[in-house]
Amino acid sequence: MALPLLPADWSADKDFKRLNALSSASERTIEPVGPHFLAHARRARHKRTFSEDDR
Amino acid sequence: MAENASNAGPEPGSRVTIGITFGNSNSSIAYTTDSKAEVIADEAGDRQIPTVLSYNDGDEYYGGQAKAFLVRQPKITIAYFRDFLGQDFKSIDPTHCHAAAHPEDTSGTVSFSVKDKEEESSTLSVSEVSTRFMRRLVSAASDYLGKKVTSAVITVPTSYTEKQREALIKAANDAGLEILQLIADPVAAILAYDARPEADISDKIVVVADLGGTRSDVTVVASRGGMYTILATAHDFDFAGVHLDNALMEHFAKEFMKKHNTDPRSNPKSLAKLRLEAEATKKALSLGSNAQFSVESLADGYDFSVSINRIRYEMVGRKVFDGFNRLVEGAVKKAGLDVLDVDEVVMCGGTSHTPRIANNLRGIFPETTTIQAPATSTTAINPSELQARGAALQASLIQEYEAADIEQSTHPAVTTVKHIANAIGVVTGENGDVFLPIMPAETAVPARRTVQIPTPAEGGDVLVRVVEGGTHIKVTKPEPKPAKEASDDKEDDEDDSDFDSDEEEEEEKREKIWKIGGELAEAAIRGVKKGGKVEVTINVAADLGVTVTAREVGAKGGVRGQI
Ligand SMILES: Nc1ncnc2c1ncn2[C@@H]1O[C@H](COP(=O)(O)OP(=O)(O)OP(=O)(O)O)[C@@H](O)[C@H]1O
Ligand SMILES: [Mg+2]
Repeated sequence: MALPLLPADWSADKDFKRLNALSSASERTIEPVGPHFLAHARRARHKRTFSEDDR
Repeated sequence: MAENASNAGPEPGSRVTIGITFGNSNSSIAYTTDSKAEVIADEAGDRQIPTVLSYNDGDEYYGGQAKAFLVRQPKITIAYFRDFLGQDFKSIDPTHCHAAAHPEDTSGTVSFSVKDKEEESSTLSVSEVSTRFMRRLVSAASDYLGKKVTSAVITVPTSYTEKQREALIKAANDAGLEILQLIADPVAAILAYDARPEADISDKIVVVADLGGTRSDVTVVASRGGMYTILATAHDFDFAGVHLDNALMEHFAKEFMKKHNTDPRSNPKSLAKLRLEAEATKKALSLGSNAQFSVESLADGYDFSVSINRIRYEMVGRKVFDGFNRLVEGAVKKAGLDVLDVDEVVMCGGTSHTPRIANNLRGIFPETTTIQAPATSTTAINPSELQARGAALQASLIQEYEAADIEQSTHPAVTTVKHIANAIGVVTGENGDVFLPIMPAETAVPARRTVQIPTPAEGGDVLVRVVEGGTHIKVTKPEPKPAKEASDDKEDDEDDSDFDSDEEEEEEKREKIWKIGGELAEAAIRGVKKGGKVEVTINVAADLGVTVTAREVGAKGGVRGQI
């Protein structure tokens, strides 16, 4: 399914309009298992972002 | 997790690691070679090694050999003890030890009395029993690998308490084994699947049905980009492998009584023979549609041999099979989910070999749900091997880590994180009313997901509306049958047999429907070329800040904004 066309009257600064923050989240525990978790732990411990990790 | 740190273990570089699953009924050991896990056979050729120790004339037997002693020497044979580790005597259920050495109360702790040396009888704590058994596993693995195993990852039930974890680690340490980490049984099973080179590490809801010998554990897991979050667990001790054995034992006992007028369940030795052969027959019925139950001198000196087919077995075990269905359905419900939300069911534990159980689950879940079991999937991994394999894989992933590093990485500061409650996606469709999920609910943050979305055929300026989304289950009742003419309607009712009406009755239709929720942001991508696609990246930070990036695929620039 395709993206809708932009309504003619739509406008925003730099073409981006921020509306609301995320409505809710919960604290849960991820299982400390597997390669993807280890990558997560590495990022968390070295306070690195995904893009820093990608480099 | 303090228990991960072990006192001055080997240097990371010189570790030899294995994965262990240590069950009440069976244990397995596995190792990895070229990042592929393999389960090791013991000296007797068993990959599922019965968790049993037996003492005879000063000799110690374990595994299959020890299990065989349950017939002739039950009192010196210790079985079904794993769940007693780290428990007080008053809180254990000794049911399964009835026909083996009985657990005793030694000032609150569980112990067994056996003659482990000639003449002399000793009282062994369950901790000591576990250490001795573990030593045998380690030595079998060391023999197989040709080098001394130093370290292991062991899988444990999700219901294991801190006290039980500590007791298990102590028992293993006493056997000279460094424990790198204890990991959850169901997570080990998922890891074994996800580690396959062809695995698709997508976002999915996985239900792990671990059907063992004395217990069944069902776990609902949000698997998100290869990270696993447990949403719900259910544990059951009334529907498991031994209950299928019991059903078959009753069946064969009755058959025997018809012929010989004596109940083979009335003396312990006959009962033990009956149990051993019932289990073997049950396993044979997982492979073939017929199996033979034969025991020499079952009772009163009578040999007994009779065949049973799978259909009969499935009738005999019906109550237990129904119990598995309820357990799985209950766990899904407990997670606040519907069967339509479940992408995959991973069946593990020995009992998961049973075709009827897999077929029943096939019937409960929609066709789009993969049921990973030998009976329902040609790519299923042996359910008896999943956990040991997962443990071995985890061991190989962390074997280079210092114990302190493992401890730090598994600390709640790293593992307890926010999970988004609703899906995040964009709105698509001509009328802008179709939700396309990009990051599903229960994804741990920080997280990042990217999708490519088509644009209208002619291209042009398009709107990227980033919204939250939720689902609900839409139930459509079958259309009422068109009323027939009054006269033959009555006739129809009368001769409609149950069978006919069953066949004609349409089931209600259940579908998962996405609903567009809160709006997060909007972005415009202008001048998209004909047939172009837009790539949208959603990045949610640990503090729940959302960054949206959208651009035409292959084009420069694009839009980026933060919420
Ligand atoms: N091929 C098979 N078909 C049917 N049942 C099987 C098969 N293989 C093993 N089983 C059964 O699986 C059960 C053992 O399961 P598993 O090896 O997972 O043990 P476990 O985890 O130690 O069990 P628990 O801790 O629940 O006692 C036994 O009841 C056994 O008879
Ligand atoms: Mg088990």
